[in-house]
Formats: sequence, C-alpha cells, structure tokens
Amino acid sequence: MTSSLLSIELRKLLPYRTFWVILAVYVALLVLILYFSSHVTINGQKAGESFYQFPDLWVKLTYIASYFNLLLGILVIIAVTDEYAFRTIRQQVIDGYTRANVVQAKYSVVLLLGVVCALLVFLLGIIFGNIFSPASNTANMFTDSHYVFFYFIQAVGYMTLAMLFGFLIKKSGLAIIAFLIYAKIVEPIIHYQLPDSVDKYFPMKALSTLTPIPNKELFEMVTGASESLGIWGAAAQSVIYIMLFCLLSYILLRSRDL
Amino acid sequence: MANVLDIQGLSKRYGRVQALDQLSIGVPQGSIYGLLGPNGSGKTTTLGIVLDVINPSGGTFQWFGQTMSKSTKRRIGALLETPNFYPYLSGEQNLRISADIKKVDHAHIQRVLDMVGLSHRKQNKFKGYSLGMKQRLAIASALLGDPEVLVLDEPTNGLDPEGIAEVRQLILDVAAQGKTILLASHLLDEVEKVCTHMAVLRNGKLKAEGPVSSIMSTNDQVFISGGAPLEQLLVLAQQLPFVTEARVQQNQVQLVLQSGTDSSELNSAFFAQGVALGQLTVKKKSLESQFMEIIKAETV
Repeated sequence: MTSSLLSIELRKLLPYRTFWVILAVYVALLVLILYFSSHVTINGQKAGESFYQFPDLWVKLTYIASYFNLLLGILVIIAVTDEYAFRTIRQQVIDGYTRANVVQAKYSVVLLLGVVCALLVFLLGIIFGNIFSPASNTANMFTDSHYVFFYFIQAVGYMTLAMLFGFLIKKSGLAIIAFLIYAKIVEPIIHYQLPDSVDKYFPMKALSTLTPIPNKELFEMVTGASESLGIWGAAAQSVIYIMLFCLLSYILLRSRDL
Repeated sequence: MANVLDIQGLSKRYGRVQALDQLSIGVPQGSIYGLLGPNGSGKTTTLGIVLDVINPSGGTFQWFGQTMSKSTKRRIGALLETPNFYPYLSGEQNLRISADIKKVDHAHIQRVLDMVGLSHRKQNKFKGYSLGMKQRLAIASALLGDPEVLVLDEPTNGLDPEGIAEVRQLILDVAAQGKTILLASHLLDEVEKVCTHMAVLRNGKLKAEGPVSSIMSTNDQVFISGGAPLEQLLVLAQQLPFVTEARVQQNQVQLVLQSGTDSSELNSAFFAQGVALGQLTVKKKSLESQFMEIIKAETV
C-alpha cells in the first residue's frame, strides 16, 4: 500500500523543478561547507586533514548536516501545501484516498527523503574521509558511523513536523514562516525559560540531541554542562514525536473540510 | 428501480450560515439527475458531502445502499467545482496520477482523452490549457475506470457553445450506457435539455424534486380558441371542475388544468356543451419560468 502511495507521490515530485532545486541547494551547501571546513585557518594552522579524521568525522558531519534539515522541512511544506493550492488533495480524496492515505503518502516521501539524505551524508563521509584524511586512518572508518542513523531520525523528525505545519496552515509562505519561527525562535525561548530537566523533552531539543555538537566537552567547559537525554533516549523520544506529528496531521484532516 | 444515492436530512452549517438544511433526495439508478439552484443554494456543498470532502453537520447518505468507503469511491467518477490538477504536469501525466489513485490501468487514459477530444494536447502542461480544456481534462479524469456513477459539478462551466454542446452530448452518451449521472447546474436550460430527474435547491432547502417531465406537466397551460366567442369559452371553462384557472389572453383563453387531467377531456367537455373548439394548444411552461416560480414561492 505504502509503496503504491509513494510511487504516486514520485509522479508528482520527480517532474517538479522546485523539488530538484531545493535538493540541489541542500547537496551543494553540504558539500561546500564540508569542503571549506578543512580550509579554515585556526591560529595560523589549517584545520586541514585533522578535520576529516575518522571516527570524529561522523559527529562533525552529521552536526553540519543537521543545519540543513530546515531546507528539507521547507521542501516537505511545499509538497503538502501545493496539494491545497492546486486543490488536488480534494480530488484525490474524491478519487479514492482516505484521509489516512493522504498522511501516509506524504510520510512516505518524508521517509524516502530521510533515507536519501542519510545515504548522501554517509557517502560524503566516506569520500571526504578517504580523500582528505591520513591514509592510516581508514581502519576505524565505520566507528561511530551510527551517527548517520541518528541523523536520519532527526531529518525525519524535522520533516514530519514540517508536514504537520503544512497541513495545519495550508499556505506555503505562512507555513514555512511558522515552521522556521517555531524551530528557531519559539522553542529556543522556551528552552531558555525552562530548566534543562523539563526542556529536554521538547521536540526540537530532543531532535537536536541526536547530532551533538562536536567537542561537546570543550564547549561545555565554557557554557556549563547542560542536561539532556542520552542519545538513545532522544532517539526514542523523537520517534514518539514523529508518530505524534503524523497522528495530529491525520486528526486535522479528519476534523476539517477539504 | 433502486436508488444509487440516498440522502436523508443532510445539513451543513458554516458558522452562522446554514448552507444546507435537512436535504433528503434519492437519485434513481440510470437517471440523469439535475441538482438545480442559483449560486450559493447548496449544490456544491451537497456534492462535497456525498463525495467525502466536506463533513456534514447532520444527516446521512448511502451510495449503492452502503456507507462511503474506498470500494464505493471506485464506482464513482466525480468533478467538483474547479478542475484540480498539477499545473506543471502534462494532461497525460495528471491522468496517470488519477488512474493510479483509482487503481485503473493506464491503458484507459488514451480512451478517455479521445472521448473528451484532448488527445492532441495531452503532452502539453496543464497550466497552458484554456479553461475549456481544463474542464475537459477533469471530465476525462472522472470517466477513468468507467464508473457506474458520474458526479459532475457545473460541467459546462467555461466552455464555448460548441464545447457545451459536446459535453452535453457526452453526458447523454454516457447515460445511454446505463450509467447514472448526478449533475449540478445553475443553468435551467442545461437541466431541461439533459436531465431526466431534478431537484431544485434554494438557500440550502429542497424546493422541488421528481422526474423533470412530471415537474413540468403539473403546470401545463392550455390555450383554446374558436367555435364560440371568447367570453362564452371563458364562462364555460370556469364551470368545468378540472380547470383551476382561466383567463383571456391575446384572443385566446388560457387555462390551467388540475394535474392529471388530459387535454382531450377538456375537448370532450366543450363538445358536450355544443362547442367545437377551433384550436387547442398545450404549452409546457419553460423550466425557467417554473424555476422562477418554485424559487419565488416561500421567499419569506
């Protein structure tokens, strides 16, 4: 069922230029930042080769990639709100979709994008690590590569939240703004107001825990330690949020006229 | 014959506006059923509810005697309000999506494109289509999978006169195959020309329902003249029990007969009085004037 829903979604997305432009921007930014990270000069010393050292590379890489989840979110919002703009959501429910199918179809796109982006990050890690880091280093190439899996959950989490905003607001511009404001302003303010013991349960906080800041220990020497769930705890919590966002999207569709 | 669609007490309220008020109708199998009413009378709301995209505030409906489900949806082809397609995809690509959702083989696409005369433009993007072509594509999409019932909301909207004639012929052709068609229109002419049954809506309320011919015949007008002076005809006519209304109009006497009365009864009644009528004309009122009457009734 889900596979046929996905193939229908691909019929809509693959010929859509906006889809490819956003994906291209995602890839280009990721590659550029990755490339230029090694050319940063710190204290007269190029970060250079040490940046691409396995296994630390995986944490750095997924942390960088986490910044571009917003782009993926925007892509998903456009995919959802287009259905309202073209009123195709209405036609598809008339033609045979249930409201659950509508959510499942978009969620299948989210999963596919998550897999594609995680694979891309994984490949970039292997390519950059092998080309630029000292050759002796490849023995522990896959150590810590499970951070790519955490990145996958994070990307899916961002996109599912974006999907919910799309269904909620229906208009692309407003939905994108609301999504960005929530992710980057509202939640950070809430985090700031609340003690760590509480705010670690918030969706953005849990999701961001999945791609920890590289050299976290160093960082916390300056800012003070912050309490968070362990990475596996954050992963479990993120999965719960993902299910919740899907469920809320479905309830929204059920309760409103199309 | 069984009803394809039964609606009982359907209501829809948008805030303070009662868009649909206790609508109960039945669409007989094989009929071309016209839902007639001015803009804002609740036609699209009705169709939206029975097509599962608008939640009713009250009431129920059954398709083929069942509640709406995926399997009943597959037996219905529908176009609601505007044609809804992806502007950046071609007509054919759009129909592939519709076919996939309806689980219809792609081989059917060419057939429905031919039926609506869009084959030559199937490779063009939807956004480049004229309004008429968009409407045809929507009809093509509704025809995909050869559904038992077609639901068409203002199907001739935006078409030129030639296109209107073609679409009406298409509807009649499809109906001739034994399919049921539910059609919403604000054009009386359209309903009169195409439909076998009709319901008239106004402000969300049902004003009249039944076969088009019976709605029309209840108000047939008869014009008589000749055989005797007009004044005498008028007096005689007013004495007849089955004449409800009689008046002189332009050298003729205009009569309204009780429903169920045949005009030959009228003729023989006059003959019994020793008057051989020179002329007797039965004139069915145009649906338009009836429509205005139905709508004007209970305006308050």
